[in-house]
Amino acid sequence: MHYSFEIEGQALLATLEGELDLHTSPEFKEEIITIFETHPQIKYLIINVQGMSFIDSSGLGVILGRYRELQTRGGKLFFVQANPQIKRILQLSGFQKISEFANSANEVLERI
Amino acid sequence: MESTNWIKLEFPSDTRNVAFARTALALFAAQLDWTLDELEDIKVAVSEAVSNSIIHGYQLQEGIVHVHASHSNQILKITIEDFGQGIADIEQATETGYSSIPEERMGLGFTFMYEYMDEVQVISEVNVGTKVTMFKRVGHPESHGTN
Repeated sequence: MHYSFEIEGQALLATLEGELDLHTSPEFKEEIITIFETHPQIKYLIINVQGMSFIDSSGLGVILGRYRELQTRGGKLFFVQANPQIKRILQLSGFQKISEFANSANEVLERI
Repeated sequence: MESTNWIKLEFPSDTRNVAFARTALALFAAQLDWTLDELEDIKVAVSEAVSNSIIHGYQLQEGIVHVHASHSNQILKITIEDFGQGIADIEQATETGYSSIPEERMGLGFTFMYEYMDEVQVISEVNVGTKVTMFKRVGHPESHGTN
């Protein structure tokens, strides 16, 4: 699992690659929580999942936790470049109701 | 007629073994003629069951997870068993959104197992352990698309 973060104004761009599961999610969770805590201006989380090959409920739980934080900040969650398999699990877990899908981070940045 | 084949795995409740288990099971399952989506479904179901054994069965403490998989006549059967604390109320535990540790978990583990496999059976006894058996048939109409 590899991930990187970039901050653009009020948006946090997270790029995830590999597999986010019970083993890999705690470290990602710790880092993204720290970024949220140290950057109170963040209202939008844009997650690029193009390179993500696997996610299960452990990984989704971490993202849901950040969504709850975004809600308290009046913000929004976006998924960028989700392949059909990732899109399917996001839909099944209810994320399509609480987030938006986009083709690129730039598209989201122009929209927000 | 196709012959039956099976594998048996045992590993400690180390979170690194979640990826090992789903990858090993997907390789075994690939002996049957699945679509790529179906193989991904099997990986998610195995990941959830093994994660449950580690988190809930063994409470992230030491324990051994047993996995048995077999296929016969185009039906894959996977059994994941732990000898941990067991589930007091299976009906509640398998409800969508229920988690015994809600601040950390989404309560979707069993939902994914039920969605991605054709049949899921759960047998559990408090302080004895939990055994989850999942079946998936090649070409099953419910195994293919999204809802």
